[in-house]
Amino acid sequence: MNEIFDPEELKIRDGLVYDPTQDCKLVGAARALSGVKAAVTIVHGRPGCHCGILLLRALGSNQNDIRIVSSGFRAQDMVYGAEGRLAGTIRLCYNNFKPSLIAALNCSAPVIMGDDVEGVVHAMKEEIPAEIITLSTGGYEGPAWIGYEEALAELTRYMVLGETESGKVNLIGFKQDDVKAYADLLEIERMLSSQGININSVLTNSSFEELKNAPKASLNVVLGGDGLESAKIMHEKFGMPYVITPYPFGLDNSIEFLESVTKGLSREVNEEFIAAEKDRIKERIERIFLFLQGIYDMSVAVVGDGGRAYDLAKFLSDELCLNVKVLAITSRNHISLDKTKTNDDYFETLLIEPDRFEMNKVIKSKGVEMIFGSSMEKKLAWELGVPLFRIFYPVIDEVSISDVPYAGFTGTTHLTERIINSVINNYIEV
Amino acid sequence: MMYEQEQKLEIETTKGNGRAVGFLRPLISAYSTLPLHGMTAIPGKISGALMVVDSIEDAVPLIHGPVGCAFQRKINPFRPYLPFYETPCTDMNDVDVVYGGEDKLSLGIKETYEKYHPNLIVVITTCPSDLIGDDFKAVIEETKAKGDIGCDVVYTTGDFVKSKPVGYQDALYAITDQMLCNGKGIGMEKGEIERNEGSVNIITFPIHGAGLKTAEMASVLSEIGIEINKICFDHTTVKDLYDLPKADLTITDYPMVWAKLMKERFGVDHYEILAFDRFKETRDPELFSPYGIEGSARVLMEIAQRLGKEGEAEEVIERRKKVATERLSKAKVGLDGKKVAIMGGIHGIGMTLLRDVGMMASIIIYKTQVLESRLTSEAINEMLDINVKLARKYGSDPEVLVNPTIEEEIKAIKETGTDLVISMGATAHKYNKEGIRTFNPMDFMLLHQRIGFECPIELAILLKEALKKPQRRNPLLSMLKYDPYRTNLIPEWAALADMFGTIRQGAVGDKVVAGMYGM
Repeated sequence: MNEIFDPEELKIRDGLVYDPTQDCKLVGAARALSGVKAAVTIVHGRPGCHCGILLLRALGSNQNDIRIVSSGFRAQDMVYGAEGRLAGTIRLCYNNFKPSLIAALNCSAPVIMGDDVEGVVHAMKEEIPAEIITLSTGGYEGPAWIGYEEALAELTRYMVLGETESGKVNLIGFKQDDVKAYADLLEIERMLSSQGININSVLTNSSFEELKNAPKASLNVVLGGDGLESAKIMHEKFGMPYVITPYPFGLDNSIEFLESVTKGLSREVNEEFIAAEKDRIKERIERIFLFLQGIYDMSVAVVGDGGRAYDLAKFLSDELCLNVKVLAITSRNHISLDKTKTNDDYFETLLIEPDRFEMNKVIKSKGVEMIFGSSMEKKLAWELGVPLFRIFYPVIDEVSISDVPYAGFTGTTHLTERIINSVINNYIEV
Repeated sequence: MMYEQEQKLEIETTKGNGRAVGFLRPLISAYSTLPLHGMTAIPGKISGALMVVDSIEDAVPLIHGPVGCAFQRKINPFRPYLPFYETPCTDMNDVDVVYGGEDKLSLGIKETYEKYHPNLIVVITTCPSDLIGDDFKAVIEETKAKGDIGCDVVYTTGDFVKSKPVGYQDALYAITDQMLCNGKGIGMEKGEIERNEGSVNIITFPIHGAGLKTAEMASVLSEIGIEINKICFDHTTVKDLYDLPKADLTITDYPMVWAKLMKERFGVDHYEILAFDRFKETRDPELFSPYGIEGSARVLMEIAQRLGKEGEAEEVIERRKKVATERLSKAKVGLDGKKVAIMGGIHGIGMTLLRDVGMMASIIIYKTQVLESRLTSEAINEMLDINVKLARKYGSDPEVLVNPTIEEEIKAIKETGTDLVISMGATAHKYNKEGIRTFNPMDFMLLHQRIGFECPIELAILLKEALKKPQRRNPLLSMLKYDPYRTNLIPEWAALADMFGTIRQGAVGDKVVAGMYGM
């Protein structure tokens, strides 16, 4: 058991009032579906739901790839229903975008009213030559990660068993609106390629056709545990094995990632590649070793989603030797709670889906000198007068269009560089 | 007031230590090109209501709904550059939807009070709590009756008013109706209120710099002898709100339902700077041009007349005008007769301001696509006429281009020898690439445009700067493909805008906007 982490320090919210650190099911589902290339998502709900998601997408992801439309749900529809509007929107979507997949996300209002969205879709099957899926994503039905899991699970319904190709894997749990997502994906591809492994499809950052052919891969790689439900379904349905890997933040996680994948494919890991990457990192670290010595033991807080925050905290603690005073898991996944039972000792206080008010109080009391979080920690960082390293969703006040990753071996040097710069960039009057 | 003075004032008045003041202008601008409001989306009521609550320093919202309604609204379309960090909610779940969320709301109010110690809790209802029929009023009354809530509690549903922005107007109405009229801070009866005779409230939309934007107006009114009762929303507290009924007149930017309620309940009259109601009767386009020297003089005089201070006002306004006009005549040297192309519409830099700085409108460009699905063609035509009539009245004879392609615009601009295009940041590069200089009206409107005599002087200085700006020879933005008509949008966004326009066609709420403009 973790010697530093006292189980008493595991705090799960107990009050009723919740200033949430996570979004609702609708956003989780929309995030998953946005990664299906050329698919269109219809938000069947009041204008605020649509506007909110559109805003999140516009500020936090590729601004040339927003495929989210509203069904035009209006106040009077609360009485008479909005099935007709949804049908019209599906038609318009097809005519305007010619998508391979249309996903209608049923929000709180139509779910409560009982709009028969499945009926609408069924009636339009013959008219619209695209697949149409519906998901019940009422905000009260659960948090974002449930919506994400359900959306990926829904996509497995369209997958078809094909001839398995050895040395090909699917990546599950990749979110294209995470900060540095594309650069991370390039790095992960490079790392896998070094082991003679190719990516078959990415859940989600693939076309609908590619996703249908996901069962051609030999192995599903579940990043940080996100999307585990879909991997289990594919295992049951197609006999596909899966491995849960860490999100490859830092050297150790990157090695563990490669070892897990190669083991899952019953291959030997290419040690030469890893040795070369280690040498490269060593050479870079030497260039800034004085600063790295200088920030040794700096107290930090990590505030992020379960699929990535544990792994970042581990890198910060084990490799950069920072003192992770608080690890706040803003949004769980199926394995998040299991991770607290490991022997690792890379954090001091663990908060699971905390109330933001309480979380801020804890972080403020811990003498934290840097925060790794999302844009939502900006005010807290400002109040504490400490740098905020934006690395978790949502990031709406930083863009990333370069190919320099946070993940993998390359990401290790980049993260180190950014962290040191975040500290020494500051102006302070003494 | 120019940048240095403005920043100095901001440093002195802004919450916190003011370290980041220098970043404020570009930060706001960076988010100003989002094509959301009415183009591809309509913000929901929660966003508008949160704008109100956030602008009251000692108020806290309590969103009675699921986590998404609280988390997603932290990023607000009215203020995307600065999230709302405190949005507690009752975390409504499926059990609550079946059995009701009233107990949770009651407990939520109590917990919110204990955690945040606010002077006001504004309960913002959501689709689920609205639909299941929670009795918000009864819950609040019962919770308060228990005696352990030491603050005001009001609720906003979006159903109290029909005027847009709904959430914003509704929250203000709720505060007026449920708190000011019933609260402990003032007496219920009109007679009990200790009046601040001859004073006014100045109310602006709670975006950054509200205090700065009203400073000159307040100064002129004070000199006239009109006391400023309250300026909202500028570091406004609940106590300030309780003081609002003490005034004789409330000045708002445009018609506000809560101001009408103040008149009804407290006898506090209201005055709107953009006089949509009067335009309906008179069709006088000047009513849409309250800025500039003459426009501001008119507005200030009308306010003074409401308070029986026209005699005092005449002298003050004339003196202020004289001083400003003398300064303006120096500031605008080099602008006289320069030709400018402008984007037509209600919003934007008005003809009166252009007249003040001595520039001539050579071209008026209208983009009606956004309006076509929401206004009748008659309404659109009338709106278009407003600019043309004013331009002609002030001695310009502009060429009118309706929904031109960018090529058609450039051709006309070159043929007319236009010196400057008043163009949003999103499209400026198109003109700049052709060697045509531009001026960003959004920055001006957000940060400078206001009632007062200084505003045209600032405009003149800024326009002169714009005319001297170096040429942008090869903007990276020009590498992209844009929609031929919605020239600020790439095709992907234009498709979203087209779809939104079609889906939104005939929406009942949108007609209110048309009505508001007097169409």
